[in-house]
Amino acid sequence: MLTIVNHLQGLTHLATEAGVEAGEGPGPIVPELKELAWGAGSFIVFAIAMRFWLFPRLKAGMEARYAGIRADHEAADAERASARAEVADYEAQLVAVKAEAAAKVDAARQTLEAERQEQLTALNARLADERAAAAAETEAAKAAVRDQIHAAVADVAGRAGELATGRVPDAAVVARVVDEVMAR
Amino acid sequence: MLAEAFKFPEINAILRWQDIFTSFNKIALIAVAAAVIGIVVFLLAGNKDAKVAPKGVRNLAETTVEFIEDGIVMQTMGKSGLGWTPFLLSLFIFIYLCNVPGIIPILQMPATARMAIPMFLALLVWVVYNGVGFKHQGITYLTHTIWPPGVPVALKPLVGVIEFISNIIVRPFSLTVRLFANMLAGHILLVTFALLTQSLITAETQQLLLKPMAILPFFMLVFLTAFEVLVAFLQAYIFTILTAVYIGGAAHPEH
Repeated sequence: MLTIVNHLQGLTHLATEAGVEAGEGPGPIVPELKELAWGAGSFIVFAIAMRFWLFPRLKAGMEARYAGIRADHEAADAERASARAEVADYEAQLVAVKAEAAAKVDAARQTLEAERQEQLTALNARLADERAAAAAETEAAKAAVRDQIHAAVADVAGRAGELATGRVPDAAVVARVVDEVMAR
Repeated sequence: MLAEAFKFPEINAILRWQDIFTSFNKIALIAVAAAVIGIVVFLLAGNKDAKVAPKGVRNLAETTVEFIEDGIVMQTMGKSGLGWTPFLLSLFIFIYLCNVPGIIPILQMPATARMAIPMFLALLVWVVYNGVGFKHQGITYLTHTIWPPGVPVALKPLVGVIEFISNIIVRPFSLTVRLFANMLAGHILLVTFALLTQSLITAETQQLLLKPMAILPFFMLVFLTAFEVLVAFLQAYIFTILTAVYIGGAAHPEH
């Protein structure tokens, strides 16, 4: 509280501090020469220093830094453009390589297909031959088996006829009968 | 008793200052300090390495320069007005640094709450923009100023008088009074609420509730102090941007 009071006194003890009595001096809106002179002098010195010394130094530094930043930006832009060109080049090469690879794959596929067809044809032909040979062997085996059965059946039938009639049947007749029965 | 304690001082007692030495009072001290602080800040800023990202005092100086260039010059005069940046920068910084002591303890007085500095600056601006007008347009500056393009011949006498008074006489007057009156009003408000607070705190009274009531003007004092921070900046900005508008108008009447 004491500090606040001290601050307030700093703001309010103006008359005492200033040593100005009520009504003393010119009116409050009349400019005082000494304030005018010091104010004008201070501003003129400041403005001249700013115009010819302070501002040019600061601005030169700012411009140099901005130029550096601009140069860095331009270099970065150039790098980016170069990188993009390299990427585009790479992509173009990639497309060409892919096209070439696709062509080679197609050619290989066609070659393989032709070879496959050729081998398939050959294999089918071999299979047909083997199948025909097997069929012939089967027919031969079947014919042999049939002959054996025919002979066995004729033998059994002749023997059965002989036992039934007491006579030996004619072999040709028995064979014809067996042929007829087996043909049904 | 309170009425006796709360006695507002004479206006000169809160505005006029005893000389520190011959013809050098607090107003002169603030004006000199404003110039010295401005020079020192920009000197220190200029000595910092400009190649690295600015910080501290250099950042402050560069921000101020860019504020003047982008916020005032480019908005009012365009690129051709960038040559006026040092003058406008000086004007803005000097006025701001003369305004701000109004809220700085011990100083507690804006130098612009006295007539001398605002009047000098307004007259300087008047000389500058009229000089620029004559330099760019020759003697036709005067006719362009008092008779804007498109004014019917019949109205020229009336418009001429109005424009002459408005552009040649009223402008420096309004520049001066706007800055001076705003800062003076702020200073008087601060003094008023400080006095009221002090009077309530130090009142010799039996009324127990009277002293705590000091919190009300004290809060107002704090609020107005914060408001004066804004006013100090705003008045410097307004003075500077109007200067730029006047110079831009004198250099390029077609705008």
